[in-house]
Amino acid sequence: MFWRILKKDLKRKKTMNIILLLFVILCSMFASASVNNISAVTGGIEHYLELANVPDIVVYMSEDCKAKEEIEALPSVKETRTVKPLDIMSSRQFYYQGKQLETFINPATIYPADEFSIRCFDEDNNAVGDVEKGSFYATSQFVQDTDIKPGDDVTIKIGETDITLKYAGAIKCPVFSTESVAGPSLLLNHTDYDVLNSEPETESFGIQMMVKTDDLKAVQDIVADYPADASYMDKEGYKGLFLYDMIAAYILMATSTLLMLTAFVVLRFSIGFTISEEFREIGVMKAVGIGNGSIRSLYIAKYLAISVIGAVIGFAGSIPLGSTMMKTVSKNIVLKGRNSVLLGLISAAAVVVIILLFCYSCTRRVRKLSPIDAVRSGQTGERFRKKSLMHLGRSKLPATGFLSANDVLSAPKRFGIITVIFAVCILLVTCMSNFVMTLKSDKIHMLFAIPETEVHILDADLFAPMMRDAAETDRIIADTEEILRKNGIPAQCTTAQMISAEAWKGDTKAGILFTKTSGKTDYVFPIEEGSEPQKADEIAVTASVLKLLDAQIGDRIKARIDGKEYEFIITGRFESFMSPGARMTTDFDFGHSVVNGTTGLNIHLLNKSDRERVPEIKELLINEFKTDKVYTTSGIIEAMTGMSETMKSIKHLMVILAIVVTAMIVVLMERSFISKEKSEIALMKAVGISDMSIIGQHVMRFGITAVLACILAAALVFPISNGLFAWICSMIGDVTHISSDFDPVDIFVTCPLLIIGVTLICTFLTALYTRTIKASDTASIE
Amino acid sequence: MNTVLQTKGLCKTYIVNKHQNNVLKNIDLTVSEGEMIAIMGPSGSGKSTLLYCVSGMDRVTAGEVIFNGKNTASLSDKELARLRLDEMGFIFQQMYMMKNLSVLDNIILPAVKSKKNTEKRRETEERGRALMHRLGIDDVCKNDINEVSGGQLQRACIARSMINNPKMIFADEPTGALNRSSSDDVMNELLSLNRDGTTILCVTHDPKVAAKCSRVLYIVDGGIMGEKELGHFEGGDKELRDRERNLNNWLMEQGW
Repeated sequence: MFWRILKKDLKRKKTMNIILLLFVILCSMFASASVNNISAVTGGIEHYLELANVPDIVVYMSEDCKAKEEIEALPSVKETRTVKPLDIMSSRQFYYQGKQLETFINPATIYPADEFSIRCFDEDNNAVGDVEKGSFYATSQFVQDTDIKPGDDVTIKIGETDITLKYAGAIKCPVFSTESVAGPSLLLNHTDYDVLNSEPETESFGIQMMVKTDDLKAVQDIVADYPADASYMDKEGYKGLFLYDMIAAYILMATSTLLMLTAFVVLRFSIGFTISEEFREIGVMKAVGIGNGSIRSLYIAKYLAISVIGAVIGFAGSIPLGSTMMKTVSKNIVLKGRNSVLLGLISAAAVVVIILLFCYSCTRRVRKLSPIDAVRSGQTGERFRKKSLMHLGRSKLPATGFLSANDVLSAPKRFGIITVIFAVCILLVTCMSNFVMTLKSDKIHMLFAIPETEVHILDADLFAPMMRDAAETDRIIADTEEILRKNGIPAQCTTAQMISAEAWKGDTKAGILFTKTSGKTDYVFPIEEGSEPQKADEIAVTASVLKLLDAQIGDRIKARIDGKEYEFIITGRFESFMSPGARMTTDFDFGHSVVNGTTGLNIHLLNKSDRERVPEIKELLINEFKTDKVYTTSGIIEAMTGMSETMKSIKHLMVILAIVVTAMIVVLMERSFISKEKSEIALMKAVGISDMSIIGQHVMRFGITAVLACILAAALVFPISNGLFAWICSMIGDVTHISSDFDPVDIFVTCPLLIIGVTLICTFLTALYTRTIKASDTASIE
Repeated sequence: MNTVLQTKGLCKTYIVNKHQNNVLKNIDLTVSEGEMIAIMGPSGSGKSTLLYCVSGMDRVTAGEVIFNGKNTASLSDKELARLRLDEMGFIFQQMYMMKNLSVLDNIILPAVKSKKNTEKRRETEERGRALMHRLGIDDVCKNDINEVSGGQLQRACIARSMINNPKMIFADEPTGALNRSSSDDVMNELLSLNRDGTTILCVTHDPKVAAKCSRVLYIVDGGIMGEKELGHFEGGDKELRDRERNLNNWLMEQGW
């Protein structure tokens, strides 16, 4: 009998059961995909470094540096491997279809595949072994802004040597920088590598020694003894290269968690909603003497069947969903556990258990209800309570509008949950939109040490000399200003140069990025605490420097820059993404040091009229300096970090997710409302209310909910964006006091219109189903 | 007297599991203004289907339904809905009402929706209150539908059916879910309406209810088997008993 009741129930309440099944699928899909994503993101970098066989430390040194022998002699060193990368200084030394490449900014680095002990991965995350003779792999920067596809020929010309190789595809590797401003890394067959290596004009900045050791400090100490010839990067340093990727991954993780919670809230609501429909039957069963346990087990068995089917389908659906979400953030990283079947199955099983717990809690009322209560409550599908809050006679609203508003106010919990879900969808998109906008704003430039200038040149040919020799800086700035003046563009040029150096206070040491601005500049970079450095022996530092060196403002620290020891007084603290970082005055002389980084040439246009025609001037500079690497203010951060592009990709993913989630919630909820309100719809039709009026009522009440969600989201977007952005910035560097910019068009127009539009269209299409309910159905409604 | 409703060769067929079920077969019926007609018959004979077909709640398979001079078969769904809203009233066995509205709002909803109604909202509300007063339920006008008894709710349904001053009220077993006392109250209200000139077509199983009507139709297997003219009920227990006896005898002859 028990099974017959169950079978009949599944068949008779087909619509509601299908809706519930769809919610279970949705929930299971989000849960499995999200758990997989969270697992992949958590500890993702450590896993990537391990997978790629990254050594404990990579030492960069000149070929004749004695540090190599000393390190090899250390008893704690387990294994060493040395490789000599070749450096091709300009993209113009590469030819594709007979034309020079005008793309990447920094030098390209060439590695022989067989000697490079660190594992590289292709786009499908398969490890790349040896490279076939006549072909090469390259990091994504190489093909950026080009039409180069796998299989295409690329020619490298250095001096008298030219070699044509087939591009085999993109690779990623934890020790190659992912930033778009960084030069590409190429992996070649040893024979092809030797051809280039034998060319006298081929440059090489030195060798790389990959060291596996139990005593990292011993290696670091040896390197510190050769400050002019050697530097190192340990695993912690490599982790920093993926900061932007990890931020995107953490955003994905937060989104996944949010989606999972949303799905569970909707599911809990739907189970409560459908069980409340069953009270009449529960009453009848109680009346004929069926025990509470049997009644509850009947419903639990039904939900078990639905949830198992839903979980299996949802698990299958989670695989493409998870991959799509992950693809956006795993361009540069091999994240672990992509679509782990076991994890997905565990999540799907957890969904089944949670559904049964929901069901168990929802059927608790069965015990408390008497048969009479249950039958009476069942008549209207829920427990009676005061419902009508508005009065038609006193309302100024048209009848359809009144009925919609009254429906929303009569079921605040039901429509409140939908409002919150819609608001979450809007927030997902608007927050991302705000992030993208903030990443292009002036406040971000400051944090990257870029002054507030209008045009920026990031061409390696132009600034490579000043990277090799800091003393060249003033000449290059003066030359550039002269060229601009001759072209009728009076301007002041500035550049910020960075040198990575060891600093210490007493016995405490730390690697710090010293930044010095050169050129005719009076730009004021904000100081958070203390004062701006005024003299050559004064510096402002970021919070992490104070922490690493256990120092305070007013303390003296020492640093070794270009082999010389300097003493500095800390005058203040500033916020920067160049962290741990220190800012020097323009008076400090880098001498002939090789600098580690630069912000390129930042040009401030002196004439107001010129500042109003920046795009035109940008084109002029492209022609004059024969380079494509001229950027406006909004383009410079993108060129340096590629972050706003990643954020844009995530934003697009969020838009798709918001549309899909909104549409699914609307369709499923509206369909379940129609099923529940069948008798009322039939009654309205019987008394002569038209189909369109009924559809209008249904569309309007979801419309009201969407509008309320837009208001809620608009109120929350400011604190949430600020909080999230500050959190992201604190992860990138020593930046805590930063607020997000807001995109009013997205917050108040685009996003609300999108969500309201999707809601109205989906409700309208679903509400068309009410046309199948006839006035005469009043006779057959239970 | 003017004819309000007329059917010619009305047929209604349902297809269930590929089987044709002829529920109504060639029904010819004429209802004059001011009549109160009861439709009786065994369960499944097609009483309710006839009511739904003639009231435009359901489409006929063949034949004509002429209501107030209009052939309802030729009207669109929208026109039919407007006809039901403006010129017909409905009472059902189950006291269907909108759960989210108060009793008074349920009553005035059809008037607010009607384009024929040019009153201000407050005037419509006053008219609703007056109707409730007339039906003796004015004390529950602000109540929700769960806060009133079945009898009160059915009288509220009658008030709703009257709010647009319909030409005809269609009642499908209006007393079927009520006890005897409430049933008498509801029937007295319907009689009172009929005396005021409203035409009523009522499906019932109860001879006591049918005995108060001016004419009784007996349907078997989708066809009108017999028709009994009882004349207008003037009131009084003796007359009612005589009409009941008379009707019961006739029903026995019909095979009731």
